[in-house]
Amino acid sequence: MTDTPVVAPPQDSTVHPPARRGNPWHPTLRGVALMTSIELRRRRPSTKGYILYGILFAAVIGICILAAVLSTSDLSSTNLELVLIMVLGVGMLIAPSLSATSINGDSGEGVLAPLQMSHLTAGDIAFGKLIASWLVSVIALLALSPFLVYAFTKSGWHLDELAITLGAILFMVLAFTAVGLAWSSIAARAVASVSLAHLTTGFFAVGTLVLFAVAGTLVTDTKTVTEYYIDWGALSAEEEDALDEAYMSGDFSELDPADYQCIENEWTTGVTHTDRIAWLLLANPVVTIGETAPIVDPETWREDGRAQPGVFAQMHSMVSSARLGPQDDEIDYEPYNECEQLFGTTASDASDEELTPEEQEAQWEADQAEWDAYQQELANLPRAPWLGLAVQAVLLAGSMLIVVRRLRVPYKKLRSGTRVA
Amino acid sequence: MTTTIEASAGVREAIVARGVARSFGSVRAVEDATLTVPAGSVTALIGPNGCGKTTLMLMLSGLLRPHHGDIAIAGHDPKTDAAAVRAAIGWMPDQLGSWDNMTCLQTLTLMGRAYRIPKEAARERGAQLLTRVHLEEFADRPSRVLSRGQKQRLSLARALVHDPQVLLLDEPANGLDPRSRVELRDLVRELAAEGRAVLISSHVLAELDEMVDDAVFMSKGRTLGDEAATMVAHARTRYRVDALDRDNLLEVLARFGIAAEPSGTGAILSIDGEEKAAEALAWMVNQGVRVYRFGPVGSALEQTYMAMNEERR
Repeated sequence: MTDTPVVAPPQDSTVHPPARRGNPWHPTLRGVALMTSIELRRRRPSTKGYILYGILFAAVIGICILAAVLSTSDLSSTNLELVLIMVLGVGMLIAPSLSATSINGDSGEGVLAPLQMSHLTAGDIAFGKLIASWLVSVIALLALSPFLVYAFTKSGWHLDELAITLGAILFMVLAFTAVGLAWSSIAARAVASVSLAHLTTGFFAVGTLVLFAVAGTLVTDTKTVTEYYIDWGALSAEEEDALDEAYMSGDFSELDPADYQCIENEWTTGVTHTDRIAWLLLANPVVTIGETAPIVDPETWREDGRAQPGVFAQMHSMVSSARLGPQDDEIDYEPYNECEQLFGTTASDASDEELTPEEQEAQWEADQAEWDAYQQELANLPRAPWLGLAVQAVLLAGSMLIVVRRLRVPYKKLRSGTRVA
Repeated sequence: MTTTIEASAGVREAIVARGVARSFGSVRAVEDATLTVPAGSVTALIGPNGCGKTTLMLMLSGLLRPHHGDIAIAGHDPKTDAAAVRAAIGWMPDQLGSWDNMTCLQTLTLMGRAYRIPKEAARERGAQLLTRVHLEEFADRPSRVLSRGQKQRLSLARALVHDPQVLLLDEPANGLDPRSRVELRDLVRELAAEGRAVLISSHVLAELDEMVDDAVFMSKGRTLGDEAATMVAHARTRYRVDALDRDNLLEVLARFGIAAEPSGTGAILSIDGEEKAAEALAWMVNQGVRVYRFGPVGSALEQTYMAMNEERR
């Protein structure tokens, strides 16, 4: 054994890390870039991973080719819209899964604390992890891009419109990546943080709709209406026949009001003021994405070079209807009054019965035109993605604030049941 | 308070802790820890499992905020200059963690860059450190293939990438084979000779004996100061004499009124210093005692540890 005493320590190359002061937390460009590259290297897939990804990609292309061969040449935006919803859905599943184990997992493996000891700030680590997880999700989503390209060519959408919607989707994926990261900085165990991240996503995707339905009962104005009608059970056979006759002929003058007992029936009806709670719908990610999509006019879509209104257009109309709230005729509902119709003093009550077939036709047409105009108004109501995007922005900023605070050392307190390293 | 510590710390006293305390909920992990490690020396932190060694190390490293007490690392106060404290420290945690799919050299290079060392310099430094901890043949292999002891050495190299003035080594000898332990001992001595202050915690007390200049004993969250130091000093004076004729040895000692503890094969004497030990041996041989073994009684640290007679948690 070489047991020679150490004559001189081996010559080390001298390194001069810059001096530090205070306890900075803010992210720096260099730090975030380094942290991102460290995270990406760590997540680099194995050969098996590349093969799996290749197979998935090939399968997607294959399905697209098949669809191209079989499909008709008509424009249809629904395919593109379904693909976009799928991209959003897959992104919102993958991204939080990746980020939700990022901090508590590292802490458990003992690789977080050495980084916190280095010159990387809490902000560097937080944003590096955010960007790395997000990039991995985006790369995974690229596997779906052939669908997107194919569906886009037949959608009647313009390229800039697609870019805006895709941008909104990627921003949402970023926000939910941050949510996952925040949970992983709060919860000690991966199981907890992953489930909490998915529950948060689920709350926005489904919970907002449920809340909308529940909140609907709170904004429903109930009013008691009283209806009046003839008590048919008390009529004799002749009186019944006479009334039937009068209904057929439209001439009620021969009836004697004294023979016909008028009874009243009270019941409550409700008008839901959805305009007060439509913001719940607008906070839904799928609705938000739909609201970034181009407006398709139900009347002029053909001339506009669009496909006929698809999923997003229908969703936009439904959301618009909720935003506009109940129409005047719903609010000023006229209760049914058979007695007054029969024996009322006002002449207008019986006017309906006296319409000629031509007048009837004109009336129906007017109703139809009014309905169409309403539909067109709904379809063309200005798009409202801003609330949803603002909610996501708040979610993103709030999550990152939590993450940075939780990553700052010296720790004031620890996640219960964990060690520092 | 802070200013006095910083003033007294100066260059010499690289680690100073006074009255440091920290609890987790109702558990008082560290109740009162006081220690000083001068630059260029090695101090051992010794105590039973759960006595608060790791918690103390975390507070010294600037990762955990103490509830009470003052700390100064290389003259910096973690309360105000936590980043400067962390930058001055090379910390080897008790928990082994490595980036599994990165090579050893990549790990050290990236760690160096995390300390804002330029890429080329970090790479060069990484390669040299791998040589220093005898992992050079693993430079381009992923760290997941390393054995426990090799990961331990990589962790030590990682603590050195930024040429720190203070080293906190938490159980560095865990899982090392005998040869690596000897190498670790030499390496720690080298690092101290380069002027670094080293605080090392370990259970392998016999190893520490030859490695450290000073020892701090900890029990139930408290550092034992002078009392433990006296015990160590006493333990260092104990010599074991084994003789073929044990009864003759005891009789000779008794005749000259020399205090001795009889043992199975001879006696244990209290001798102050190596000079006197040589004289004592010559004297016993002259008295006709057939001495076949003579030397210090095992590890002074181990004796003190056992004598502390504290309950394990």
